[in-house]
Amino acid sequence: MNASIIGQMAVSGALMGLVYALIAYGFQLTFATSKSINFGQGELVMVSAFFSLTLLNLGVPYWAMIPGGLLFGALMGLVVERAGVRLALEQKSEGWILLTIIIGLFFFSAAENLWGRDDRPFPTPISADPIHVLGVDVTRLELAVAIGVLAIMGAIELFKRRTLLGKAFEAVSADRDAAELMGISATRTVMLSYGLSGAVAALAGILVSPITTVGPTMASALILKAFSVAVVAGLDSGFGVVLIGMFLGALESLASFYLGSGWREAPGLILLILALAVRPTGVFGKAVIRKV
Amino acid sequence: MRRILLLRGAELMVFAFLATIPLLVVNPYALGLLTLLAIYGILLIGLDVTVGYLGQVNLAHVAFLGLGAYTAGLVVTKLGLGMGPALLAAMAVGLLLGGLLALPALRLEGPQFALATLSFAALSTTALNELESLTGGAQGLSLSRPPVFGHALTPPLFFWLCLALLALVWVVMRNLLASQWGRAFEALRDSPIATDAMGVGTYQHKVAAFALGSSLGGLAGGLYAFNFQYLQPQSFTYDLMIILLLGVVLGGRKSLWGAFVGATVIVLLPNLLSNRLLFQVFSGLGFAMALAAGLRGLVKKTTRPFQALAPVVAMGLLVVGGLFVENTEDWRKAIFALMLFSVVVGLPEGLMGFLSIFLAKLFRVPHAPLPEPSDIEAILPPRSADGAPLLVIEDLKRYFGGVKAVDGLSMIIRSGAIHGLIGPNGSGKSTVVNVISGLYTPSAGRILLRGSALPSGSLFRVSKSGVARTFQNLQLFGELTALENVMVALKGVYRSPLPLVLLGLARREESQAQADALCLLDRIGLKDQALTKAKDLTYGAQRFLEVARALARKPDLLILDEPAAGLAHPDVVQLIEIIKRVHKRGISILLIEHHMDVVSELCDTVTVLDGGKVIAEGKPEEVKRHPKVVEAYLGQPPQSDLPGDPSPQPA
Repeated sequence: MNASIIGQMAVSGALMGLVYALIAYGFQLTFATSKSINFGQGELVMVSAFFSLTLLNLGVPYWAMIPGGLLFGALMGLVVERAGVRLALEQKSEGWILLTIIIGLFFFSAAENLWGRDDRPFPTPISADPIHVLGVDVTRLELAVAIGVLAIMGAIELFKRRTLLGKAFEAVSADRDAAELMGISATRTVMLSYGLSGAVAALAGILVSPITTVGPTMASALILKAFSVAVVAGLDSGFGVVLIGMFLGALESLASFYLGSGWREAPGLILLILALAVRPTGVFGKAVIRKV
Repeated sequence: MRRILLLRGAELMVFAFLATIPLLVVNPYALGLLTLLAIYGILLIGLDVTVGYLGQVNLAHVAFLGLGAYTAGLVVTKLGLGMGPALLAAMAVGLLLGGLLALPALRLEGPQFALATLSFAALSTTALNELESLTGGAQGLSLSRPPVFGHALTPPLFFWLCLALLALVWVVMRNLLASQWGRAFEALRDSPIATDAMGVGTYQHKVAAFALGSSLGGLAGGLYAFNFQYLQPQSFTYDLMIILLLGVVLGGRKSLWGAFVGATVIVLLPNLLSNRLLFQVFSGLGFAMALAAGLRGLVKKTTRPFQALAPVVAMGLLVVGGLFVENTEDWRKAIFALMLFSVVVGLPEGLMGFLSIFLAKLFRVPHAPLPEPSDIEAILPPRSADGAPLLVIEDLKRYFGGVKAVDGLSMIIRSGAIHGLIGPNGSGKSTVVNVISGLYTPSAGRILLRGSALPSGSLFRVSKSGVARTFQNLQLFGELTALENVMVALKGVYRSPLPLVLLGLARREESQAQADALCLLDRIGLKDQALTKAKDLTYGAQRFLEVARALARKPDLLILDEPAAGLAHPDVVQLIEIIKRVHKRGISILLIEHHMDVVSELCDTVTVLDGGKVIAEGKPEEVKRHPKVVEAYLGQPPQSDLPGDPSPQPA
């Protein structure tokens, strides 16, 4: 086997892996504040992509569409929080798992009927021409994905560290009760985290759509891999998702080459089950001391 | 008697009614629906084990349906065997793979469990699609129903077979879930830590529950294969999983009837969606129900506004949608979503949860009678308190990173003593209890019980060796009754092996357990509230129940972790009385406590901890005056705070 082909596959796989990392990062944001994640996050990625495509079709320029898409994603994130998560958190139950699955299903069905069941191309001004870097070909599109992912993650991390609101976010993550006693509204912070998580999902949709096309099922494979990345890296690990995302992307790219494209999803799924079995808190996660 | 007559009568009537339908009506379509009802009934009873009893969101059940179906199909087509072996193989595959999946999923709770099962389901769809040489891949697998004993199975015969299997599963599961096993599953859901600490064992029960539920999924899969005689991997996907969850949740969790009602709904759903008038009638009914229930909840203030309003909005969407949408079939997923959403939010107990209370009142179904309490002499025979060393702790250390929570503790608890362990907050008392009881592994040191080493790092094994504990932060099994809380922990009563339990031949030890548990409840004054759910007891009663549950372990050493924390004065007096009574049975007690009056009144010896080390030990009165103890609790005398200050010593 030619080493350069392996290198080529690994690099383009790793760049795709950054999208998984970005969606996984969306899980981390909500898990930090509320110990809950949106099981319908894939549908959020999908409806945001459809919405952004509609904006483009209405004649909105690409760069103006992006904030519009992000805003829509954030709004949908808030809907999920209000309808599916808040009640369960108030009751300290795990009902949110089922409720977020249900809301995802609703989004899916709505998208199917509003936008149709077919896959549609997503235009982008960034060209798909390859450029040659260190012996492998990388398209500008793939590079744009990488830059977009790292930029928004960096921006949110800066926001958490540098602004007062961001520090409230960190405080609620560290200790919800103590933060409430200090006058920080945990409910608002959880809302903020779901809004951010929705915006992150929307960006993932906008970035990945030119590569995968837009359709109701565009995120169903994507989301499984994002789950894998989030769990393998650990739901509280910050930038660990970037490393694991790139690793998993490269791995599945090679797996689909050697085993056939039908097995593409297998490495991620096996990794996820193994990681849960061996280290439920993730490779980069903190072990929790049980207290009674 | 009346209870048994009513409950069993209802079951018999429904099954007899279903069985006679093919004789009265000759309609292939209706028969097909009835067969599917029986198959889904089995499937949902299996799913209810994990979703209802274990309380976990299980997204892998559809995979076991698919794997069971393909197994049965392959056994018939490739191996040429008959229906019996095929169904057994389908069950075995469910049992084995379910057990295997449960092993890694064991330590997982909530979201992680859901994710693990979701991955498994996706992985098995991939495998069914890609292993083309075996399964035919996306082309599908055709099979024909093999004859049984030389007879071809006509549709009515096949229906009766499915119905008979459903009845068998029904009876077996009723026996199992009403036994110690069912209680253990529920205990596991409410508090895994206490389940281990009560010697029940989270490990085997979680695996057993999951494997069992999955094997029913496999059995249903086998029947599914013989029903449709054509299999495709696409039939067993996430969409169907959601519908199955809808069935269990809508029907009502933790209920065989709930699974049956859920299966009926699932079977009727496609017809409901294809007929517009029917759909409008049902969505209108749903809306009216949500509105009535919501208003009632709001007026009576039993529900939160969101809980009352959200189902109304969801069902309202359904009604409005039904008027405008051209083809309801296209929107089926959204319709499922809205229905499921309304049920999960507005009717969390499901239709049967709601109906069973109503029906029990209507027919005045009495509670099952309780047996007479056993004699305390039989449960806790008095033991000799010879004062010999019972628990010996030698140089025990437990560090968390750089924090030395326990730093070289040595103490001896003598047989028959009430030994107090006190100390200011953060002195390491709770860590000591957690190390002894096996929650934490010690960093160094030895713990000996009657001269032999106590197992370390396992709540379950420590509990088995004769040490029982209560929890400072209550760890009761909230959804179980007070009686069941004690019954779960009872030691030495449940001897029947699983097959006998499944056949319903273990009823005697069940009533023995009830009698024993009642006696222990009587000791703590809760006999009259035996059938109250633990979460509905008063705070004080919950604390006492913790003690009774630990006593059910018939322990050599009972560790009480701050039993008086948060209790009002009258309850404290009662607690002291209870502890004295327990002590009279010759049980040795390690008492961790903040209330000095409780310690002074009860303890023979008191050990005082500070900074993870023993600073004093002796009789309560001596310890109270010990200068180091005074210093630990009240701080240093002021003069030593200011070094160099030539304050005069008192003469």
